Amino acid sequence: MYYICCMNSEFVQNWFSQVKKGTLSYIILIILDEKEYYGYELVQEIKIHTTLEVAEGTLYPLLNRLKAEGIVDSKWVEQESGIPRKYYTLSKSGKATLTEMQKIWSALETAINKLQK
Amino acid sequence: MKRIIFTNPAAQKIYDDYIKRVTRCIRLLSADDQRDTLMEINSHIYEATNAAPPENEIEILLGTLEKLGAPEEVLQPLVAYKKAQQATRTFNPVHILQAMRLNIANGAAYVILAFFYLLSVSFCILIILKIVYPSHTGLFMQNDKFVAFGFTTELRGGLTELLGQLFIPVVILLMGALYFLNTLLFRLLKKE
Repeated sequence: MYYICCMNSEFVQNWFSQVKKGTLSYIILIILDEKEYYGYELVQEIKIHTTLEVAEGTLYPLLNRLKAEGIVDSKWVEQESGIPRKYYTLSKSGKATLTEMQKIWSALETAINKLQK
Repeated sequence: MKRIIFTNPAAQKIYDDYIKRVTRCIRLLSADDQRDTLMEINSHIYEATNAAPPENEIEILLGTLEKLGAPEEVLQPLVAYKKAQQATRTFNPVHILQAMRLNIANGAAYVILAFFYLLSVSFCILIILKIVYPSHTGLFMQNDKFVAFGFTTELRGGLTELLGQLFIPVVILLMGALYFLNTLLFRLLKKE
């Protein structure tokens, strides 16, 4: 038998983009569960803890959406520089949402691990 | 919003140009949303470039702006989303039309919505036509068969207009129903 072992890199890249897109909000909620962060700091935190190359500009529309959904809260905090920071925290509903997402993630992980064996 | 001051004039110009582009991209939003978005972008640039030595200012600023991305691209989803929120909050047709234009790339449903809004506008034109050309505008039947609802230049023999003076109230009712249904549909789409 002869197999052509050539990976379809375009397919993998598209799939990875979808995974990234789908998991970014989950990652943000996990990070915000520890403490409050301002936008730039949150980007750095994502970079430290994950290997995901996040387009920084896309983070703000996502944070806005999470805020509109009532998952995160935000507040402007004045700084000595005169340029305030907008801090994000997980709301009560956000904490409950995160718990639910963690359950789903765990179940998915278990299922995939079983399939991969 | 407090402007960031750079030591290097070239860096200052790059920053000012970027902020101008951001301002242009978000001009359709409410004043509060514009201020909030601008302050957030400004804060990000400040935090990323703060304490950069003057000789590296341009390099660091360019890197930061590149990572943030072109405002026209990265702010599009935010503007579309916030505009949709404003439209559903206010029921203002101008905001609804702007929100549809911005969200049209988000799915065929918005194309359908846009079509229905156009239909509402054409109903409005029909009212004017009924006033100007009363005999040429209406619900036309011929031999008990439906021929047209609207305006016709040709009045063939046997063609009868059924609604008469009731045409305008019927069109107003249809417009109202269409507008209400579309706005409700728009709210449902926004929730998805």
